Amino acid sequence: MISIDTTAPAKRRPKPSPPENEWRTGAQERAYRSSLLEALRAAGERRASGPRAVKEAADSALALTARGQSRWSRAVLLRRRSRLLVRAGGRIRRRKLPRRRPVGPTPGTGQPEGKKVRDRLRALGRLVPGCENLSTVSLLEEAADYVAALEMQAKAMRTLADDLLAAAASGNGRRAEG
Amino acid sequence: MGSAGSYGVGTGNSGAYVTEISEPARFEEEIRSLIQARFDAPPVSGGSFTALLGLSANQAVGLLHEPGAGEISAPAASSSPTGLGHPLGCSPTFPSNAALAERAASFPVFAAADSPASSSDGGPSPPLKAEPPDPDSSPPLPVPFDKPRRPAKRKDCEKQKAKGPGKKIKTAEEQTEGDQLPYVHVRARRGQATDSHSLAERARREKINARMKLLQELVPGCSKITGTALVLDEIINHVQSLQRQVEFLSMRLAAVNPRIDFGGLDSFLMAERGPLAASNGRGEAALDPVSWSSDPAPGTGLRTDLRPSQQSSTAWVYPYALIDHGTSLFGYGAANSVPLNSNQSKTDL
Repeated sequence: MISIDTTAPAKRRPKPSPPENEWRTGAQERAYRSSLLEALRAAGERRASGPRAVKEAADSALALTARGQSRWSRAVLLRRRSRLLVRAGGRIRRRKLPRRRPVGPTPGTGQPEGKKVRDRLRALGRLVPGCENLSTVSLLEEAADYVAALEMQAKAMRTLADDLLAAAASGNGRRAEG
Repeated sequence: MGSAGSYGVGTGNSGAYVTEISEPARFEEEIRSLIQARFDAPPVSGGSFTALLGLSANQAVGLLHEPGAGEISAPAASSSPTGLGHPLGCSPTFPSNAALAERAASFPVFAAADSPASSSDGGPSPPLKAEPPDPDSSPPLPVPFDKPRRPAKRKDCEKQKAKGPGKKIKTAEEQTEGDQLPYVHVRARRGQATDSHSLAERARREKINARMKLLQELVPGCSKITGTALVLDEIINHVQSLQRQVEFLSMRLAAVNPRIDFGGLDSFLMAERGPLAASNGRGEAALDPVSWSSDPAPGTGLRTDLRPSQQSSTAWVYPYALIDHGTSLFGYGAANSVPLNSNQSKTDL
């Protein structure tokens, strides 16, 4: 799915295809697993084996698998990138997104206008990377994609962890015998 | 149609842009542009949004154009106007980015349906509803959120009350004939105000509701909850729990990591699920890449039982620094499809 938010008015097209279905396809999961393994290896090679490094690697791999078609994935990738570049002494000119009203005030009746709803929408925006000052419409869209991606990520990582443990265990066992 | 030229240009751009999206190499450029420039660095002529449609701009414009439009090859082009029964006597000029994006938001719906969409919603609420064309009718009411756009030469489009049994009929129509049509023509529900403000309101709210519904389906247990606030609560909890899960899993992986033998994970990569039944027995050997496509090195007899026979799907690339370097971060995307080269030479089995 493609969704790129610009400074254009808040009108955006609805997703052409349901994002969650795409994340659930086997192809995406396989793609993610490859990325994940690579990332883990890279992290291992760089002697960065702390859990935080692993998580960042996993997140970056996830964002990469998203192919940058969603705002949060771009935010994740840019976050890493800027940190690396900053570390290298460069300077990142990050474009500040135009501040949008979290919920557009509307004269008519409307659910999203409630105070509680507004707060929760803002909280949701903080949870999803890169979606803090987003309009309601875009926020919901990004959140849907993000949730689907997170589910796939958790599933893949769990599988990986199990596999590794099983491999390690049986590997050690076999070596012990031999 | 006088707009043939401009439309062609728009199509070309968006077509190219769509191609860009699908290629990792281009993806890098795009990301670069994201950093250096605005997000919509790509060519302006509506390319960004129209390309975003996924649905090729052809079809989108096809829906825009009246049936007589020759440029549109999409079948929806001919059928939708007929089905909608609203042939526009206007020659569309291709929309500028945001305008078209907004209008065409619903077009994929119709392109997919490819049927008279006059009475079918087809999915996420289209932002616009069309009304039957009324040549020589009064000018449509401008809608507030369209004002920023250039005034369009709106042809015979008009807002009408929904006829029929009060059932809301939504149709995204080509009343955005030119891309510059700033007016949203919405068919009002029976008994509802046709005030431009409230119509825009309604359109927006419907969009929001559609997305909320999508989210509700995604998050387990949200379908029964009524009330936006509670649903959002649930969604937030779900996101937080997922993020926590990822954290815990990454901790586990970190613990296991030093002793990882990534070579034994063929089944992990290939299969969807299932831990390794018979491990490769290589314990914490050095990181040795697995060759998918090429024949297994003879020394890897240990792994033969695990190696699936298919050589398709994900080729495993020898560890690039996925995260490390800015360039390779995105170059990885292209490398993903590169079959594993002779890294076997590096590995000692």
